[in-house]
Amino acid sequence: MSWLRRLLLLGVLLVPVGATAAGPPACGAPMELLDPGAPLPTVARAVTAGALRILVVGSASVLGPGTSGQAAGWPARLQALILARRPGLKLELRVRGARGATATDTAGMLREELARKPADLVLWQTGTVEAARGLEVDEMVEALHGGLDQLKAAGAGAVLIDPQFSRFLRANANVDAYREALRLVAAAHGVPLFRRYEVMRHWAETDTIDLERAPRNARTAVTDRLNDCLAQAIAMLLRAAVAEARAATP
Amino acid sequence: MRSLIRGAQEASPKSGARRDLRVDFFRGIALFCIFIDHVPGNWLGLLTLRNIALCDATEAFVLLAGYAAGLAYGATLDRRGFTFTAASLLRRVGTLYVAHIFLLVVFTAQVGFSAAALDTTAYLDELHLDVFAEQPYQALLQALLLRFQPAFLDILPLYIVLLLLLIPASPLLRHPAVLLGLSGAGYLVVRLLDLNLPGWTGGGWFFNPLAWQLLFFAGCALGYVPRAAGRRGTPPAVPFHPLLAAAAGLVLVVGAAAMLIAYADADSFAGLPENVALVLADVDKTGLHPFRLVSILALAYLLGHLVPFDAGWVRSRVAAPFVLMGQHGLPVFCTGIFLSFLGRLALEQAEGWLMQLAVNLAGLAVLVGVGAIAAWYRLREQAPVQRPAADALPDVAPSSTTPVQ
Repeated sequence: MSWLRRLLLLGVLLVPVGATAAGPPACGAPMELLDPGAPLPTVARAVTAGALRILVVGSASVLGPGTSGQAAGWPARLQALILARRPGLKLELRVRGARGATATDTAGMLREELARKPADLVLWQTGTVEAARGLEVDEMVEALHGGLDQLKAAGAGAVLIDPQFSRFLRANANVDAYREALRLVAAAHGVPLFRRYEVMRHWAETDTIDLERAPRNARTAVTDRLNDCLAQAIAMLLRAAVAEARAATP
Repeated sequence: MRSLIRGAQEASPKSGARRDLRVDFFRGIALFCIFIDHVPGNWLGLLTLRNIALCDATEAFVLLAGYAAGLAYGATLDRRGFTFTAASLLRRVGTLYVAHIFLLVVFTAQVGFSAAALDTTAYLDELHLDVFAEQPYQALLQALLLRFQPAFLDILPLYIVLLLLLIPASPLLRHPAVLLGLSGAGYLVVRLLDLNLPGWTGGGWFFNPLAWQLLFFAGCALGYVPRAAGRRGTPPAVPFHPLLAAAAGLVLVVGAAAMLIAYADADSFAGLPENVALVLADVDKTGLHPFRLVSILALAYLLGHLVPFDAGWVRSRVAAPFVLMGQHGLPVFCTGIFLSFLGRLALEQAEGWLMQLAVNLAGLAVLVGVGAIAAWYRLREQAPVQRPAADALPDVAPSSTTPVQ
């Protein structure tokens, strides 16, 4: 099955992301990091039906801090990218997040939002606050188990998103323990994991986007570019997951 | 270097027992691995035990710390009685506590230094690391109470509580079955009821001492050498049995397979009959999950029987640095944690292979150096002092600052 997946992904990668995008797709993020590893049938069905509802939950980074404005955060950029590809799609994207929100907090937000209105896809960013505060890995895992079970019962697809890379976080927090747990939880529930940490580390190491080393007066521009590239990478992962779902159910 | 190693040559004249250098060697390896694993982004971290087993250097360290404690404090108990043993354990705990607070101050300075450099609003959540900037007095108080343990500073608090637990438990060293029975029952109760010592940020300690005590006391029971008719006998090693060895091998192979599958891409999970990922996601380190406990015991059992007591290579030049490190665990451990701060700062600046090489080589060299200095000091301290006849100074009276041993 794996070769088929890679072939699909390659096909997706060869198609240009959007009319405006220049340079390599997803800002040169390595292809294997964008392999969803699991299909997203709910999203495939919603796109076919012509209406897609996405809910983004997480801690501070979903709000696009440090960008030039709300429209430059990655959720808004993702919305723009999807609409550029599918102009006729009725796309609705909601964002709920707060600085310092743990997985338990965001699981609560998820419940509230889903009670108000269902969603076809939830992008769930988590792990940063837990790692920064050294909270129990177990507690995060429990909250994710509960939340993902609930999403499945509600018929919503999910993608987990792991922490942002920074040399600061790597040097001062035990971030690997939390990333490892996220990877196992995603695999256990058969949901894709967007490995934001690895993708951003690749960008930093190849000098594509290195926010920590950007000069002060260029920071807003670099943060905008980071958010745009993250949106492109997530869009690529979503398209591969949708392609997988379509290939599985002819 | 080999002349600095204790028990390298002949049996101790006092007790007639020979020091088990295998324990020192593996303890040295564990100490070096703890240094490596405490430097995230270190490439050598891909080669340590945690990648191929359900346990890692922390389990090895705690088991061997238990072994060393059983050996040392067991002998003290037999020679000097309970009160003296309790007092020397307390003194050790005091040393560990001061070492921990020192490392905490260094860590805080490092976080403050890095956070000042991280002047960007894009990392709002990450700045939660800098608790001393937000609530300095509260953080200090909680750190002194061991309720606030920053990342990578969670092993010493565990060790402190384990040694405190050993004070009431030390008379039971002579009754290993009772000791392990009580310890095992405690482990079960703690895991079933989900008990832990409280942490400041909610939740409990990263390493729950109430669960980890089982591994420590297992080490104590293995290390304690009962005195038989004035002369110390041989330690009660678990005898070799083919079935037990096969079971231990199976445990390790299954653990390695599970870890390797988990590292392969997510596709592999789909082909498995049972959801391996779900099981693995629930193997917690905090409460020393039974899988982790069984893995380290199986590893210790197999190594104990695969490496003979007088294996030549343990006394060789190559093994000597690690044996030296293992014989002086506490200073080497604390230095290792301190060096890992420097290593992280270095890798924060540059992460190329040259820096990788420099960090690891310098780390190893300094750790071996600390072991060598500690060994040299100990030899000198024990050597008979030749006094000039005119020396009329009185003997130094033993006090809290001048050790008696």
